[in-house]
Amino acid sequence: MRRLVTFLGIFISLTLIYCTPKKGADLGQTPNPLANLGEYKAVVGTYGGSLRLTTTSPPKTFNNLMAKETSTTDITRWIFEGLTNQSGITTKVEPWLASTWDISSDGLTYTFHLRKNVKWFDGKPFTADDVVFTFNDLIFNEKIPSSSADTFTIDGKRIEVSKVDDLTVNFKLATKFAPFLQAMGTAIYPKHKLEKFVKEGTFASAWGVSTLPAEIIGTGPFVLSKYVTGQRVELKRNPNYWQKDDAGNVLPYLDGLEFTIVQNSDVELLKFKNDETDFYSVRGQDYPTLKPLEAEKNFTIYNAGPAFGSQFLVVNQNKGKDDKGSSYVPPHKLKWFTNVNFRKALAYAIDKQSIINIELNGLGYDQWGPESPSAGFFFSSDLVTYPYNLDKARDILKGEGFVDRNSDGFLEDKEGNPVEFVMITNADNTERKGILEIIRKDFEKLGIKAHISLLEFNSIVSKLFNTYDWDIVLIGLTGGIEPHFGSNIWKSEAHMHMWYPKQKEPATAWEKRINEIFSQGVQELDPDKRKKLYDEWQKIVSDNLPVIYTVLSASISAMNNKFGNVYPTPFGGTFHNIERIYVKKKS
Amino acid sequence: MEKKDPYQKGRAWKKFKKHKLALAASGVLVALYLCTVFAEFIAPYSVLGEDRISSYQPPNHIYFFDGGRIAPHIYNYTSGFDANFNRVFYEQRDKKYYLKFFNRGDKYKLFGFLESNMHLFGTEQGGRFFLMGADARGRDLFSRVLFGSRVSLSIGLVGSFITFFLGMLIGAIAGYYGGWVDGFIMRLCEILMMVPGFYLLLALRAALPAELPSFEIYMGIVIILSFISWAGLARVIRGMVLSEAKKEYVLGAQSIGVGSMVIIVRHILPNTLSYVIVSITVGIPGYILGESALSLLGLGIVDPDVSWGNMLSAAMQISHIQYHPWILIPGFFILITVMMFNLMGDGLRDAFDPRS
Amino acid sequence: MKTYVLRRILISIPLLIAISFITFSALQLAPGTILDTIRFNPQVSEETVEKLERQYKLDKHWLVQYLYWLKGIAKLDLGYSIRNERPVSQIILSRALNTLLLSVVSMFFIWLIAIPSGIYTAVHQYSFGDKVFSVVSYIGLSLPGFFFALLLLFFADMWGIFPKGQLFSGEYASIGFFGKFWHITKHLLVPVIVISTGSMAVLQRIMRGNMLEVLRTQYLVTARAKGLPEKRVIYGHALRNAVNPMITIFGYQLSGLLSGAALIEMICSYPGLGYTMLDAVRAQDTHLVMGAMLISGVLLVAGNLVADILLVIVDPRIRVH
Repeated sequence: MRRLVTFLGIFISLTLIYCTPKKGADLGQTPNPLANLGEYKAVVGTYGGSLRLTTTSPPKTFNNLMAKETSTTDITRWIFEGLTNQSGITTKVEPWLASTWDISSDGLTYTFHLRKNVKWFDGKPFTADDVVFTFNDLIFNEKIPSSSADTFTIDGKRIEVSKVDDLTVNFKLATKFAPFLQAMGTAIYPKHKLEKFVKEGTFASAWGVSTLPAEIIGTGPFVLSKYVTGQRVELKRNPNYWQKDDAGNVLPYLDGLEFTIVQNSDVELLKFKNDETDFYSVRGQDYPTLKPLEAEKNFTIYNAGPAFGSQFLVVNQNKGKDDKGSSYVPPHKLKWFTNVNFRKALAYAIDKQSIINIELNGLGYDQWGPESPSAGFFFSSDLVTYPYNLDKARDILKGEGFVDRNSDGFLEDKEGNPVEFVMITNADNTERKGILEIIRKDFEKLGIKAHISLLEFNSIVSKLFNTYDWDIVLIGLTGGIEPHFGSNIWKSEAHMHMWYPKQKEPATAWEKRINEIFSQGVQELDPDKRKKLYDEWQKIVSDNLPVIYTVLSASISAMNNKFGNVYPTPFGGTFHNIERIYVKKKS
Repeated sequence: MEKKDPYQKGRAWKKFKKHKLALAASGVLVALYLCTVFAEFIAPYSVLGEDRISSYQPPNHIYFFDGGRIAPHIYNYTSGFDANFNRVFYEQRDKKYYLKFFNRGDKYKLFGFLESNMHLFGTEQGGRFFLMGADARGRDLFSRVLFGSRVSLSIGLVGSFITFFLGMLIGAIAGYYGGWVDGFIMRLCEILMMVPGFYLLLALRAALPAELPSFEIYMGIVIILSFISWAGLARVIRGMVLSEAKKEYVLGAQSIGVGSMVIIVRHILPNTLSYVIVSITVGIPGYILGESALSLLGLGIVDPDVSWGNMLSAAMQISHIQYHPWILIPGFFILITVMMFNLMGDGLRDAFDPRS
Repeated sequence: MKTYVLRRILISIPLLIAISFITFSALQLAPGTILDTIRFNPQVSEETVEKLERQYKLDKHWLVQYLYWLKGIAKLDLGYSIRNERPVSQIILSRALNTLLLSVVSMFFIWLIAIPSGIYTAVHQYSFGDKVFSVVSYIGLSLPGFFFALLLLFFADMWGIFPKGQLFSGEYASIGFFGKFWHITKHLLVPVIVISTGSMAVLQRIMRGNMLEVLRTQYLVTARAKGLPEKRVIYGHALRNAVNPMITIFGYQLSGLLSGAALIEMICSYPGLGYTMLDAVRAQDTHLVMGAMLISGVLLVAGNLVADILLVIVDPRIRVH
């Protein structure tokens, strides 16, 4: 007994001593996380060495066209290439497998002149036949469902692809399509290897993960050399790659890439710290662990600014009714949800700084509109913002008739209905759970009874697209630069118009305007005129709040210092110029 | 027939008292349950309080001496990020907050009707005293652990009661009547035991309406967990009843016309009691652990309601162990509670053992 | 004996079918399908998703889908995992072997420590060692498994014994026998410790209880009276009788372990059957769930059967009926 007391006494004293806070630390200002990388200047590198990476999910197939998730494309992006490429640094379209192209004056015909002397891994020449095969026999094949088909079907009409000669291909569009050149970054596949699968009707299961690596034929800088199921993927250098550096050396410099498959980010971090891997995508909470180790472990942390993925609240404004005639959204709730001032009040109640501090460990940015500031050209800063202000939110609600009529501490609307609803999000995403908890508390401070419900992702999607029985959802999307690729969200007749999908007629004037913007924007080939249209769209979204944005995480990566030509950008990531990354020789 | 003390309570109690470790364990459990009942009083803050500035604040350093006399006090902390985005906390030395026992703090209603604002300990308004540190949103961990005990400690009792009731009744019926009744019930048990219930819970969750208030989620969890567990108990009871039912005293009772249910309840079941009691004491922890497993998957108690399980699930990251280890404390409370139940169960088993 | 085994196997077939039906219908309670994740992509049209649904027969009524699956099972085809784009059989086999490895190693540890300590604590009842062992083994029993696993992972990293690479990764082929042994040990260390500790405590208490009981019986008193040395009494007579009931437990423990410890596998990144099932249920990858459930069920039945057979062999008083 006495021993127990002594032990407890020591334990408590140690705890108290340990828990004295650090004194004299640098306080008051959250340090500016933006790192200045300077301008990109690729130097001529040296051959040799490999890059060790990790991924949290094994590739499901090597058939890039059938890929349904990034775990696959993370690997296949090094193997296959398209006629164009979007530069990871400037985000502009640059020639890739096509060296030049002509555009007709009406903007409907594109003639691509293919690069000479490009070879497939097995030595066969890359020709126009492969391009035509990719489009006419794969992408536009009725029997092969893929998202690429959707990208290239504009207004229900397919593009006509035809061979002019071995190195020239013609694309005839039915209507003008401004993002066409970006979309042409889509991978081209070898006719001579895949046509037999198409003839047999087995393309969808071709080039699965049990295929012999030597069978996977592309034109890219790296070739698949080995796949150990669920464990590791190895890629090796393509010695016949078409790209050369300024000194005429054939790229890439690296001997190969090695992906180790692990189950979660904590393991990725541990491996990076143990110098088993060369790269790590840093989460906010990892920053304090990694930053002090930079010198000792010889790596550099790059903060490239706001990332692209967004997280936002959607408020259900669906005015539709089901087969039995009852509204999807209870009428009293619908009244609140379709009231833009109600939504604005909710927006003023979102404590973004706390969300950034608590969920992102301080490394995040406010988001007010659908484009990330890292989108560069298309980002508009002319947005309506809603800085955290509970008093303002209360005033707005009061103005709309939301008052505590029975002194129970909660608001009721004009008809006396208590303001109460359910907010849902993914059960498996701790960050979203945390964000929703913070938001819920602030809504409670306003006098709104919000309940949190955690569901599996598929159930949420089912509610959003099939049953429409939800109030508010916190969900996220990976983002991009090209606004048009999100048209299925912003057009009111589309199925992903989450707050009120598949409208027969636009429900509001601003939704009508957004429809017009997207119809015009896709056909407007003048970049500045396009930008004006999409700037207006961003302003409309921030002013009418069909979705209420929260925060963007910071795009931070850690890369071993032994590599040269490393230049992380938010759009390109760290490996947009993989063919130029090399291992610096020790001097 | 033993009419006076069929369950041998007297003898068992005497033997239990001899087992020191089990006695101590029971004492700890009683203390924990008292905390559950008087949580509003013992906790310095209510669970509704939230102070985002205090996010992840470590336990306050308590200074015991103030200018020569004993006057424990703390300072409030301000916080920020350093250059490496480490959270740093700095004492605000401008004001001392003295700690007092029987402090006047936030108002509450004990048992739902006794109004008071007296807390076991605390400090004056404006002072942010975190005995065990603060969680992600600046809420006092110690208070939340106390309130969380309500769900975590009661779930075992409620669930076990259901399992106990169902398991004993159904098992006894199967064992006593035998024949096709027995066969049917046993096959049913086997199926229930083999169905991957835990995984199916995930599917079930989506089928339930999203607006379920927390209490109904709680009851739902209890019912589901106990539904999965009663089959095991029933099988064992059935086995015991089967052998008891063949004994002479039962045949004798039947021959003089005593009703079946009376025989089962008053004569046979007491002989299974030692096993049942022990099985329940050891089974209660299963509910506590089950609740925390469900919370880890997002199926359990949801914010703002609090349970040890959902506090633990928020803490499940290696970075938390490194930087703010105190948020793992609910895990240790679970550990201690479960251990106490097991030790007490041990003592009960020895006490009820008719052969020692 | 042979007819008994045969009868047991035959009975388990309708049992497994019944369970498969319950599982399949329970999965239908969750709205949505595995394709919903793909739906949630603005660049994928609804027509594409519908085409995929037809391809995987997800547009048919669930009873029809169940019958298709059953038909496949009759041909020993476990179906297709949409999420992994591979036949279920390819995935399940390696996962099942991993779980088997984990279970067998855990069982080994459990029995290695529980039996001797059970005997020791019974013979030296109420000693200091007895009490210490109670407390220590109860800690293992009382910590939530996933919490314990997380703590161990943290300390393993801190003390540098974190496993490098993957279970059976590239370097595996090139290291010698002891290298292989140590390699596997490092990967299994944390999950085995977590899984074993709880069962160990229970088993040790049971062993202790049984030993105590037997040590007091009459015929031992006689043996002692005859002048047999104490060690002979303990190991020759008491032990053999105390171990009997343990055999049943052995079988049930094994089959219990084989059903997978999903959360622990999740935390330890161990690719076993439990985690596979959990992941598949969440993704609604129906065939993978059914396949995993079937294999677990088979392993469970096998484990129970082994236990019952062992019991018959070991205890001459029990007869099959």
